[in-house]
Amino acid sequence: MDFIYAIVPPRVLSQILVGLSRTTILFIVSSGLSLILGVLRIPNVAHGSLYMIGAFMAYSLSVLFGGGDLGFWMALIGAPIGVAIVSLVAERGLFQYLYEREHLMLLLLTFAFSLVFGDLVKIVWGTEYKSVPVPHVFQGFINLFGGLPFPLYNLFLLIVGPIVAVALWLFVNKTKIGKIARAAAVDREMVGAVGINVSWVFAIVFVIGCLLAGLGGVLVAPTVSVTLGMDHTLIMEAFLIVIMGGLGNIWGALLGALIFGLAQSLGILIWSQFGIIFPYAAVIVVLLFRPTGLLKSTW
Amino acid sequence: MLEVKSLSKSFDGFKAVNNANLDVQKGEIVAVIGPNGAGKTTLFNLITGILRPDSGTVHFKGENITGLPPYKVCRKRISRSFQVVNIFPRLTVFENVQVSILSREKKTWNLFTPSSKLVTDETSQILENVGLVEKRDRTTALLSHGDRKVLEIAMALGGDPEFLILDEPTAGMAPEETARCIELVKSLSGKLGLTILFCEHDMEIVFGIADRIMVMVRGATIVQGSCDEVRCNEAVQDAYLGGSDVCLM
Amino acid sequence: MAQSTTRGKAQLWVYAGLVILFLLPLILPRFYIYLASIILLTGLLATSLNFVLGYGGIFQFHHAVFYGVGAYATALMLTRSDFSPWLGFIVGPFIAGLLSLVMGLICIRLSKLYFGMLQISLGSLVWIIVYRWYSFTGGDDGIHGVPLPDIISSPNSAYYFTLIVTAISLFVMYKIIKSPFGSVLQGIRDNPVRSEMIGINVKRHQLLALIIAGFFAGVAGSLFVVVDNTAFPDMLFWTLSLEVLIMCLLGGWFTFLGPMLGAAIIIALRTFISTYTTYWALVLGVLMMLVIFFLPNGVLGYVEEKIKKGFIEPVIKE
Repeated sequence: MDFIYAIVPPRVLSQILVGLSRTTILFIVSSGLSLILGVLRIPNVAHGSLYMIGAFMAYSLSVLFGGGDLGFWMALIGAPIGVAIVSLVAERGLFQYLYEREHLMLLLLTFAFSLVFGDLVKIVWGTEYKSVPVPHVFQGFINLFGGLPFPLYNLFLLIVGPIVAVALWLFVNKTKIGKIARAAAVDREMVGAVGINVSWVFAIVFVIGCLLAGLGGVLVAPTVSVTLGMDHTLIMEAFLIVIMGGLGNIWGALLGALIFGLAQSLGILIWSQFGIIFPYAAVIVVLLFRPTGLLKSTW
Repeated sequence: MLEVKSLSKSFDGFKAVNNANLDVQKGEIVAVIGPNGAGKTTLFNLITGILRPDSGTVHFKGENITGLPPYKVCRKRISRSFQVVNIFPRLTVFENVQVSILSREKKTWNLFTPSSKLVTDETSQILENVGLVEKRDRTTALLSHGDRKVLEIAMALGGDPEFLILDEPTAGMAPEETARCIELVKSLSGKLGLTILFCEHDMEIVFGIADRIMVMVRGATIVQGSCDEVRCNEAVQDAYLGGSDVCLM
Repeated sequence: MAQSTTRGKAQLWVYAGLVILFLLPLILPRFYIYLASIILLTGLLATSLNFVLGYGGIFQFHHAVFYGVGAYATALMLTRSDFSPWLGFIVGPFIAGLLSLVMGLICIRLSKLYFGMLQISLGSLVWIIVYRWYSFTGGDDGIHGVPLPDIISSPNSAYYFTLIVTAISLFVMYKIIKSPFGSVLQGIRDNPVRSEMIGINVKRHQLLALIIAGFFAGVAGSLFVVVDNTAFPDMLFWTLSLEVLIMCLLGGWFTFLGPMLGAAIIIALRTFISTYTTYWALVLGVLMMLVIFFLPNGVLGYVEEKIKKGFIEPVIKE
């Protein structure tokens, strides 16, 4: 396996792998955003807040179940569901009346929601850093390629990513609801005229999109400090990824997340002070050459 | 004056305009007719630069204007009105025409003189010509559909054109408005000496004022000639009437 | 005829307002004068955003960049160079305008949402540079204790300076909107296709609008340095851009003074509410939702509609 090091030095390889595991998180959150944007045409700025809520809920569930391994697994299942419930309430209570509005208004409305959610998190969980421990199964390192230590948890992320991607693709393309959702995205009235309850289809799509944000939050929780402000950095990145990949395109979100995650980790390696410029520079380059995104968008 | 040769444009494999040909002499009134979806508006869009053709050329007064952006086409003195009313909804009737004239006079970079003081005479003149003077201070939301279409034409006139393209100028108009519009078009040609190219669905109007007619079917020109030539042309009859032996009208 | 008396009345209100603003330092304590200065310059920032957003229809999603760059340019000139400070106040806006031109040239090929997103990307790039370039910009700490010429260094004199500069800037922007360029800009906002068809080079006009907006945002940034003696990286962060957008929305983005009103409301509310609770974001969020639902044209827009209704009914009856 040592021949790999001849092509790619170990430090770079490990940075690439770290970048890829970050990609998973970015992809999961961005795919939810892309789904909502593509089908419902809502630029959901509150997506970042839901990610943050997912992380905090993971903390609470983890604590509730003893803080150990059971805590993590319960959080992994429970937090996304919790986020889904929150988003369902928001959708049924408010959003469903606004699908016909201008995009700018929807953007500002979801921004308002993100402000509200942000403070609600502050109220419920306080302002201190929280942490979620990595479950024992995933603690420690694995030696990849004959000697390169790589965190097991990151390996877990690398596996989860593609699983979610395939599951999402199956949902959107192979299930009845997915097909209806795609049709309704293009022509809502026609779908309604055929007797399908478009309103509930939209609700389901919205909830699934938000559930993905929550899932991203849970998955990232063991690797970072769970704090306020997580939402701000992430939502910007998620939007840029979605635009880079093509609005509403799940594979586009994957591609965008790959580019963004890798640009981030490699960038820091190359230029430590300004390395975080690289992903933004990548977005700029992509938009200049392919203004509507790399892959076909649904708009 | 205007020469269109073998113009083609496809959208995702669908040939909207297929080798269209057209020529218009100075001072003429030429009509383009054809069934719905024949590509008439697309043709106008190609001529005025809103779309770029895949192949073919457009010459105006001997100059090649193929593919020029719309604002440059306008500067060559070709103006156009749109089929779906395309005015500035938040400005008044007066301001709509005024902007058009300001553009022609290249005064749009003026940052400091209040617009209310500029080109007022020329604007009033055009409004008089089209008969909208009494309504000059109305916002466009308060105009009838017919008046809006007339405003469309007024805006096109603001560019001091030599060549005027009208896309279904009487669409959606009530009968009296239609008659007024036809009178207007006739006077534009007669009094102001404009060359006019238009498209319409109402055959009475077409045969009433056009000097020559070009017929488009499925994006292609099938015939271009005088009213009589077109009336009795077999291909035209096939397209409209499915092959009966009767001359149109 | 009725319309010109309303215009006359509106002018009267503006003059009265200016007189009151001039007299404020005589009655209000120091903190409120500081607050008033902040409101004025933020209102200027919001108005400059509305110049391209409300009047031009351009999705300017990261306007704060020009504000921050103007502030940093001025602050750096004042702290690191030996040039006259007055030159610093001029350089700030010009650099902001220049940046606006550069970013505009890159972004203008895209439209609407994509324009906004590309601008955010570029703006984030600028923010990162400012944030990370510790040796030049002070990084996270920002720049503090900027020395000002004596004549404008006290809170009251800083206030008067801000008031005068803001009033002049607003006046200039108003004149531009009433000029042919302004009419054309609004035409482009409502109907870019039609505008092209009457001979207007849309992109070039939009570019000039962007430069003007960026310039005045830079003026606001320079004023902030005068009032607060500091410059810091969050002035370029996208959350500020969204806040300014909210001010335009709240006040009314089809009106000229709406953004200024929106700025006043939000800053006053924020200061007031923050004394009772740390949950200002929650309040702002709820306020925004109410405005979006009930007053989509903003406060001033609502008022204007009511006034206009007084004219339209008689016309219809004619």
